[in-house]
Formats: sequence, structure tokens, C-alpha cells
Amino acid sequence: MTGKAVLPMDSYRLAQYSVQVPCFICEGGNSFDAEVCRHCQAPMALAHQANLRKTPPQLVATIGSADAGKTVYLGMLTDMLSRGHQELQLLARGAFSVSLQQLTVSALANCEFPGKTPNEPDRWNWIHCQVRSPRKRDPAELIMPDLSGEAILHEIDHPHTYPVIRAFLTKCAGVLVLIDAARLMEGGKDQDFFAMKMMSYLSELEDDPKNGWCARPISLIFTKADQCEVCFDDPSEFGRKHAPGLWQHCQQRFKRSRFFASGVAGACGYQNELGGVRQVPLRVEPRGIIQPFTWLVEQIGQ
Amino acid sequence: MNSRLRIAGTLFFALVIVATAVMAVLVSGHWLVLATAGPPLLAILYLGLVRGRRASATRSSPAPCSAPRQRSPKPTGPERRVYDVNDPAYLAQQMLEQGRHSLLLRPQIAANVKPEQLQTAMQCLDETMGIVPEGGVLLQSWRCLMQHDESHGQRERLVHVEPLYLDRYPVTNEQYHKFVESGGYENMSLWDPSIWPAVLDFVDRSGHPGPRYWQEGRYPAGLEDHPVVGVSWYEAAAFARWVGKRLPSDPEWVKAGCWPVLTQGTRPMQRRHPWGDTMDRERAHLWGSGSEGTVSVFELPEGVSVGGIYHLVGNVWEWTSSNYGAWDPAQHKLETAAPMKSIRGGAFDTYFDTQAMCQFQSGENPINRKHNIGFRCALSMCDVVATDLDGMDGEEEALVGCAVGAEEEVS
Repeated sequence: MTGKAVLPMDSYRLAQYSVQVPCFICEGGNSFDAEVCRHCQAPMALAHQANLRKTPPQLVATIGSADAGKTVYLGMLTDMLSRGHQELQLLARGAFSVSLQQLTVSALANCEFPGKTPNEPDRWNWIHCQVRSPRKRDPAELIMPDLSGEAILHEIDHPHTYPVIRAFLTKCAGVLVLIDAARLMEGGKDQDFFAMKMMSYLSELEDDPKNGWCARPISLIFTKADQCEVCFDDPSEFGRKHAPGLWQHCQQRFKRSRFFASGVAGACGYQNELGGVRQVPLRVEPRGIIQPFTWLVEQIGQ
Repeated sequence: MNSRLRIAGTLFFALVIVATAVMAVLVSGHWLVLATAGPPLLAILYLGLVRGRRASATRSSPAPCSAPRQRSPKPTGPERRVYDVNDPAYLAQQMLEQGRHSLLLRPQIAANVKPEQLQTAMQCLDETMGIVPEGGVLLQSWRCLMQHDESHGQRERLVHVEPLYLDRYPVTNEQYHKFVESGGYENMSLWDPSIWPAVLDFVDRSGHPGPRYWQEGRYPAGLEDHPVVGVSWYEAAAFARWVGKRLPSDPEWVKAGCWPVLTQGTRPMQRRHPWGDTMDRERAHLWGSGSEGTVSVFELPEGVSVGGIYHLVGNVWEWTSSNYGAWDPAQHKLETAAPMKSIRGGAFDTYFDTQAMCQFQSGENPINRKHNIGFRCALSMCDVVATDLDGMDGEEEALVGCAVGAEEEVS
């Protein structure tokens, strides 16, 4: 049995649907009410917010292997800059831009590391923010996603697996490359190889000598340097000794690159759980978090 | 293999003692002192005399007490006199200048110290150390505090603490420099035998013995009143031994900060921070307080504890004598890659308020020399002679140790 009903025809809705809204990352067309891009799964809120600004936001990527500390680094960076104690100040745009900060700080305050970033792009945390510097009159608008390390590795090994990563890195104005210093110090070469892969991938994406990656700024950050204090003394020398492949790559191909060292946990312990062993920070004392970002923002502005 | 190492270590130690003793005799002719230097303590005192003489040759007007400058007493009390280098009183004077007054106040030594020097030592003790009274303290799991967990029994334990003195300030660069200058890094009797092979590695930026961030055996200019950092747990323990003190244990440190008040039949009332229950970043030097490094120990007097102890929270983490987790009442304890020592109090770069509470405990490998870890010393009350200074005429010293100490001595 069916009933009859009268439904008003919202013709203006049809009109809205007929106009495609381009994704800010991959520029693929989407309907006006899409939450994430149907092509790359980037949040469409970025596109809507960018349309409201006179100058389009610039993209900054944070890449590194899984467990290199990308989430912790980005979360701490945004929290430190948004507290207003630093020269650089950060203001989030949109509620979604605060999620990463909240996730990271809540975990660290309880002496835990935030959970692993899922591989699905629609579950990544994105930050759209305004960065103010006393040295510049106009604030910078930046978009920084918390990419999954495993997704980056997949994309590098099998290009086009994650269109969002490819599209984002192509449009990026600068990149923060995170390398696990503790693993390098232990003698493992995986971090060196992974970083070399990332740098090679970047140079292949855009090889134009004027606008390609060889001319864009790259901050190379040794994370977890609190576990190898010598890294703080001279990060470049540490890179030359422990990541010779990466160091050579940067010397030859990337003229606007610089090494930094950072650490968030002063020391770490382990907790036995049903699922295995979980690493926990024994205290939180961020070090070297802001300098790489400040340098990158200054370089982007030049 | 172990026994060989032990024998070699013992022989090495004996050689060092004999060689330095022979040199000391050749230099000063102190036969009498050496004859009675059976106990290692006296031998160390003698070595202190020889080194102290060298050091004093470069000084023009030594102060009677080497407490931190802001609190150091002016030359009060007895008139300054010129001591003969062979006079045992000279040794005591040197110790006062080096800030080692606690040694003079030991019941075993005080009887041989001149009354005016004993009075000065007592004055220094009062001015540089606060009292932590005897009593119980609740050691709590800080997670329990934050999560307002009501299962107190599982997350806390009541520990009894004997009365003690605790340094009012963390050990400063200037104080530590006296230790370095007097050859503390060469005096192996001050160091744990297990760490002897590593002592040679405890050098500053220029390769001289000293804290990690010093240069040419000197602290950075202008940082004399800042807490010494870049010292391992072993260096802190060696310094404490040199000044006749020790590192505080976890319960002692927490008791000094929390200042528990025990009312009959109830749990002790304790503070979260030395100044009260509410975090106030204006009272402690933590992340975001302005300066990115350490500050003078005399800054932020607002953060003082009830017992008159400064900088318990903030500025630098402080080494304690306890192992990490030893006193943790939590059931699910953490494991660490290497055995750690407990550190307390938070530092200038401590980010979260929750980690700058008296109950919060962190750990660090005892051999690590971090930029934000310093220490302060403690002294059991039973290690201090009880004197009636007002009525003292030189001979009347009541050597009253605490009951436990006395019992131990008798037994």
C-alpha cells in the first residue's frame, strides 16, 4: 500500500548541484554539499574556506615513515604556537583544524602517545590555520594534513595509489621531512633509505629548476632526538654521519634544505598490554619543535 | 672475572689513597694527621686540606661560609683569624669556605671542631637547608590524581619519613664549581665503584672534568646562581658525598613539597604543589614562563614550600636516590630499557601542568647528563650534632644523634 504526498521541488538545490565545486587539493569536481572530495578524500571544507579568502592558502606537507612522529610533531607544533608564548602565532580556521591538536595534547598530558594515524584519507586530520609573524605584515594561510606514514610509503612505492598525497605534494610550497633519529642511532638504515625514497619522489614530481622541488624549502627534522642528545649539538653533522644517503641527496639536489633536531618526550618507557608492548612518554618537554617550522615559513615567504 | 675486577679496583683505590697520602706528607709534613687517618673519612678530609690550600692560594678574602650568595651570612660571629696551615682548624675553615659545613656537624667530627666554627657551620646549615619533619606521606600515582580515581587503596601508599634537612635551593653552578676545582672528579672515594670506568667520560665541552655544558672546567658566564645541569646521577651523588650530604629519596622529596598534615584518624592532607593545590605558572619556571633556559635559584620566591624550600617545582628536574618506579603505588608499572633513577619536580621546559606536580614522577638513565636535570642534597637529622650553642664553652657539646643512629652505633 502506498500513500500519496506532495513534495515541494527545491529547484535552487538542483541549480547548486549543477555547479561543480573543485577540490582544493586535487581540483576534481564535487557537489556543493560533499564533505570529502570524491576523487581524493580531502575535506571539501578546505575548498569552501579557501574560496572565502583573497589569497589562497599555501600547502605544507609533513612526511615521514610510520612511527617517525608526524602526529606528535604537528600536534605539539600547533599547540605551542597557539598558546601565544612564541614569536610565531597560530590561529586555527575551522573546528576540524583543532582536532589534531586536541588529540595529541590530550594523549601526551596523560603520558601516552596518540594512536596510529589510519591509512584512509577521509580519516586524516587536516589543519587550516593562519600563522602570524611579527616580521611580516600579512599573516600566512597554511594547510597542513597529518598524513599516514604507511600511506606515504604505499604512494611512493606504487604511485597513484593515494591521489591525495600526490596532488598535495605537487602543490606544496614546502615540506617537513621527519626522520627517526633514535632508529638511525641504533644503526638501522631503514630511515635513511625511506628518506631517500621520499626525496627522490619529490624531485620526480616537479623537476622544474625554477618552481620544482629543487627550489622549494625542505626542513629535514630528526625526531626523537632526546634519545640521542648528540643530535641536538649539530643536526647536519648527525645527518652526514648517520644518514649519508639522505645528506648527499640534499647536498646535490635540494639547495634549500636544512637539518634540524627535535624531541617531545624526555624519556620513554614501555607498558605491557594484551596487544603487545606500548611505548609511553615518561614526561613531555618539547625541544626543537618550532625552529624547523619557523625556518620553513620564512623560506616560503621569500 | 668479577673477582679479578674487584681486586684490581681495590688495588687501584688503595694506590690512589697511598700515593696521595705520601704526596701530602711530602708537601705538608702532617704526620700526626696521617697517623690518625685510619678511617677513610679523615683521609678524605686531609686530601681536602691539601687541595683546599692550593685553591685558597688564589683567593684573597675567603668567606666563612659558602652558602648560595643571596643567603650567605656576612662575616658575623667570631672574628676572622689567620690560621696556620698545620692547624686542624684550618681544615675546618677550608670546609666552611667550600660549603661543606655538614661534614663538621657530623657527631663523629663535631667534637674536634672549634666552637666558633661549629657555630658558623650550624648557622650555614640553618640558612641553606630547610627542615622536613618526621611523619607519614602519601605517595600517589599521579594518574589517580588526574582521573579523580576513588580507589585510593590501590593507587597510593603511606610511607614514613624520618626527619631531615633539605637544601633550600638546587645546587648551583658556583657550588658545583668548588667540587670540580677541589678535584672531586679525581677523588675516587667519592664515586660508586661501579661507575669508576665512566668517570673519565664525565667531561665538559672542552674535555675537562665537569658538567656537560661547561667549558674549560668553568660554568658559562653569568650562570653562577643557576642550578647546575648536565650532570649524571653519579656526579650528583659524588657531590653530595663531598659536601657530607646525600640525595633525597622519593618519599623525602615528596614530603618536602606536599607538606602533609596528618590529622588523627584520617588520611593526610597534602598539597599538589609546594604553594597549594592550584597550578600557578607565575610561581614556577616551566615551559612558557619566558626564559627558555634555567633561571637563578633565587628567582620566583613565590613558589616556596611551607618548609622554606625553593624551586621544588620547575627550573630543573631533580635527581633522587630512589629507583624509578620503586615507590610507585600503581599496579601496572612501566618497564624501561635500562634501570632508571627517579627525577622529580619538572623543569623549565616541562609542558603540562599535570607533570609539574609534587606527586609526578619521571625517570632517567642515571648515566645521562641532560640539559634540564639538576639536584639538591639532603641530610638526615641524625647526622647532625645537636648543640647548645648559646651555652657552649668549647667543650660542652652534646653529641646527640637520633635514636636510630645511636642504636646503630651501639650495635
